[in-house]
Amino acid sequence: MGGLTPNKMLSILALGAMVGLLLLPIVVSMPALAGGGGTPAAGGPPPDVAKKADTPEAAKVEKARDVYYKTEGIVTGAPAPKTADNPQFYPRYNFESRVLLWIANQQHLYYGSFVLAVPIFCMIIEFMGIVSKDKAMAKKYDQLAYDFIKISLTAYSLTAILGGILIFTFLTLYPAFFGYLSSIFRPVMHIYALLFVAESGTIYIYYYGWDRMKEGLLKWIHVSMSVVLNVIGTTLMFLANSWIGFMMSPAGVDEQGRFLGNIWHSIHTALWNPLNVHRLLGNMAFGGGVVAAYAAYRFLASKTDEERAHYDWMGYIAMAIGVAFLIPLPFAGYWLMREVYAYRQQMGITLMGGLLAWLFIIQATMIGILFLSSNYYLWQAMGRMRGAEKYQRYIKYMVFVLVCGFLIFITPHTIVMTPAELKAMGGQQHPVLGNYGVMSAKNGGINVIITTTVLSFIWYQRGNKVPMVSWAKFGNIFMGCFFALAYVNIIWLAIYGYYIPANVRVGLSVPQVATTLSCLFFMTALNLVMLKGAKQSGAIEWGKISVRSQYALIMLATAFTWMMGLMGYIRSSVRLFWHVNEIMRDNSPWAYTHTTGFAANMISFNVLFFWLTILFVFFLATLGVKKAPAEAKVSVPGRVPEPATGH
Amino acid sequence: MAELFAAAFGLGWPVLVLLVGLMIYFQVTIPDRATRRRAVFKTFIGMLAAVMAFIAIANYKLNFFGNSRLLPVSLAMVTALSFMMAMYFYNVSALFKIGGTMFFVAAALSGYGNWLPQVEGGFPPPEVKLDFGGMTAQQLADEGEKIIFGGIGQSKVQGAIGKGQCPLCHGFNEGFLSERAPNLFGIPERAKKQLEDPRYHKGKPGDRDTAQKEAFAGSGTAEGGQEYIAESHACPSCYVVSGFGVKGTNDKESPMPTIHKPPISLSLGELAAVDTWLYVREGKEPPSYEEIIKAYEKFIPEADRPKQTEDQPAAGGGGLLATGEEPVAQIFAKAQCVVCHTIPGIPGAMGTVGPKLVEKTNAPNRIKDPAYKGGAKTVREYITESVISPGTYVVKPFPDGVMPKVFGQKLSAGALNKIVDYLSQVEEGKEPPKI
Repeated sequence: MGGLTPNKMLSILALGAMVGLLLLPIVVSMPALAGGGGTPAAGGPPPDVAKKADTPEAAKVEKARDVYYKTEGIVTGAPAPKTADNPQFYPRYNFESRVLLWIANQQHLYYGSFVLAVPIFCMIIEFMGIVSKDKAMAKKYDQLAYDFIKISLTAYSLTAILGGILIFTFLTLYPAFFGYLSSIFRPVMHIYALLFVAESGTIYIYYYGWDRMKEGLLKWIHVSMSVVLNVIGTTLMFLANSWIGFMMSPAGVDEQGRFLGNIWHSIHTALWNPLNVHRLLGNMAFGGGVVAAYAAYRFLASKTDEERAHYDWMGYIAMAIGVAFLIPLPFAGYWLMREVYAYRQQMGITLMGGLLAWLFIIQATMIGILFLSSNYYLWQAMGRMRGAEKYQRYIKYMVFVLVCGFLIFITPHTIVMTPAELKAMGGQQHPVLGNYGVMSAKNGGINVIITTTVLSFIWYQRGNKVPMVSWAKFGNIFMGCFFALAYVNIIWLAIYGYYIPANVRVGLSVPQVATTLSCLFFMTALNLVMLKGAKQSGAIEWGKISVRSQYALIMLATAFTWMMGLMGYIRSSVRLFWHVNEIMRDNSPWAYTHTTGFAANMISFNVLFFWLTILFVFFLATLGVKKAPAEAKVSVPGRVPEPATGH
Repeated sequence: MAELFAAAFGLGWPVLVLLVGLMIYFQVTIPDRATRRRAVFKTFIGMLAAVMAFIAIANYKLNFFGNSRLLPVSLAMVTALSFMMAMYFYNVSALFKIGGTMFFVAAALSGYGNWLPQVEGGFPPPEVKLDFGGMTAQQLADEGEKIIFGGIGQSKVQGAIGKGQCPLCHGFNEGFLSERAPNLFGIPERAKKQLEDPRYHKGKPGDRDTAQKEAFAGSGTAEGGQEYIAESHACPSCYVVSGFGVKGTNDKESPMPTIHKPPISLSLGELAAVDTWLYVREGKEPPSYEEIIKAYEKFIPEADRPKQTEDQPAAGGGGLLATGEEPVAQIFAKAQCVVCHTIPGIPGAMGTVGPKLVEKTNAPNRIKDPAYKGGAKTVREYITESVISPGTYVVKPFPDGVMPKVFGQKLSAGALNKIVDYLSQVEEGKEPPKI
């Protein structure tokens, strides 16, 4: 660890002082928030109001009921504005305001997600570097984390610029709506701003302190700073989420939209928690995809084997992180949907079986594409391992299983139709397909896909290894039986769903998901145990992966970006003609929901705009690399990492 | 197509001029023949790519807000030009290939989104509050007729349909053949009898074998005629009249949507109006507003009751059906022209209640018809007149008085203009105009 010299001591104290100074305003503002904001959950009035209650003005105090929590509170805000289609409420340029806001919002969100996800990666990778016993690998991990934060720093500036553009767009085009939301969240808006300052300060100290804090205790302090950075970033995201949570499922206000003094109610709405979890996981998967695409770009542009080896490895790590968070994402999405149904069934039906149902068909297709791309990458990655050839012959069967699962997964059952379509079809269900796409079968489809992906990953892990544990044979048989039974159970439940009523059928998703998760956790864990001390049939030849695999990574990243845009659009559109659901109506000329095709075109535009700009960020990152001193290059060994440490 | 090329040229001519200049410059200044040929060839490839790029951009510019489902073709063109550029510009080949892959993914997904049936959410109903509770039975019944058929007196009009969309499946007149759902003539009396059907299991919802046994846990079954009607709206699958279930379910599941939920989402007040009309039009004494609401409250939990309850339905309200900012296909859909007319090129417009609208062919002949008493001299004038004043000239053999006479007030000038623009281009036997 090295001695704690006075110089180091001074550095630590200075660092602590700096971080403390950054966080101090937030801490100071907390009591103000508690005092000014509010009503405790039990429903009593805040102290200042309680005092007023004893005065003659008490009679003037108006109480109202929270639309969600049903608690009584003192009215402290103005009603939600009743807007009309005129320039006072909806000033406009000669273009659809909603589309402009859509672009500004989506771009800010993409960059925001990226810069919130990357520090989490850095934290994980830097920590892996610290605990790695292999010094070469440790340096490589450290350099990787540094490369990530460097990319994120440029993106960070862009995020701030886009945030500014977003606010200006809101103020210019939707002043009444933005004014209302600001009036509700006024007690925490300054905290949001201060957190942003704290995040900026911490990220700069973290980045510029990298070399100064590369060893011993200082390195631990450095990695701890990444924890602080991520806590601030995540809190920032949670606060931003509270706005969209409030728009979808308002709370803390009465039926007229008047604020009732309890800011916690307005933040902690019915959908806030599932939104937070879903976004956190989604950001991680998205960040993984973006970094994987960056690695693929660098791989394809590489001139030397060393470079190719490095970026092949980087792409693999980023893809692994991305997919690791992609797998739980559908479950988080399921929770979010369940909460949506619990909050307002109509909202759930609009999403899954109504106006927006076709978008969910696209989403299902995209989930299929993401898993197919991930599997394809893993199969291609086996090509850089000697010994993995034995699995190649099974790939065609896996493709068959994946395609079957995919086709079942995307088959719709109940779809929204125009009256003419309804007449032509003769009912809500298609005469042929309507017999198939029931939920248990679709769940069966996606669970088969995920289970097969787990199997691909296990085979990838075993690619160049032969288990040497004494119980290897038993372990292999057990693993084979476990997977076979898992497939049988999932498929059997999918078929059984046809023989039971719809309301009972919904419950089948629980055993199906449990089966998939069992495969994911137990089998990967068992595999790792079995591979301890395994015999290697050959080294992993980093950089020897096919070029096609890199395009799979790019496809994965682009498809994920597209899906993020799609799901954001769905989430936002479900409010239909409400700015704030059931509280503040949208009376602009754009209060209708766009066609599926228009939405798809817009999402594509946003995705491509994001990628064109982020490619520029990547380009800037490569400029930095070119100017790196020779010494720095030497310190980052380009040698192939030892495969013995695992994948 | 000519318009597209003109727009592309309008956007991209400076770039093309620059590239031509560059090509001439290379041709003149590079002495080495092989190098010169390579430079000129690459500039030519660049020009080709630029032309494709500007056509792609022009397609977006012209059709962005329209209903063209061919916008993803632009993305496919950019994909093609990216890979083409990657073949010849080695230094940035990786970047072009990556860009090409991204455009390919976007083109595929956008194309998919455009290929799927296009569903669009309409405008919200105008925010005009109606006090259903304070209305007389006749006023309530009038509102009910508006909700079911789109207007007072429209119940006698074949094909008339309102916010509730009931006539889509139900018949309402005595003896009217109603194949998809029961004819609702006589329902106030019949409702009481249905309760005695053994399949209804009055008071014993647990004994039902239907897809849904109760509207919600503990709601129970109906005890009287009005409650039966309320339950049918709130939980269509709780009891399915024999022969009207979803095919293959043996009458255990109803094809009818839950009426208080999207896409129809009638409020309790609106449902009370609908039910009152069912009684009043047969000369029966309707239950009071409060009794009807109470019946619905039994089957619809508070959280599920639509909040925009007091809004007047769009079909009966004073608001515009279309503002004119929408694409023409949406205007046709919002004004419900598609329900009665076949309009070539408009998705879903396959109605046969009114004549087929091929007005570039029809209008000149109609104006010349001696029976024509209107004042139109041109195709556009004829169409405008037919929309605003449909009774001026009634096409044989279609009956008079079917088409509503309210479109002059319900469509904005912009919307009417778009309709006229489109219909004046539709010609029999020819491709319909692009939308």
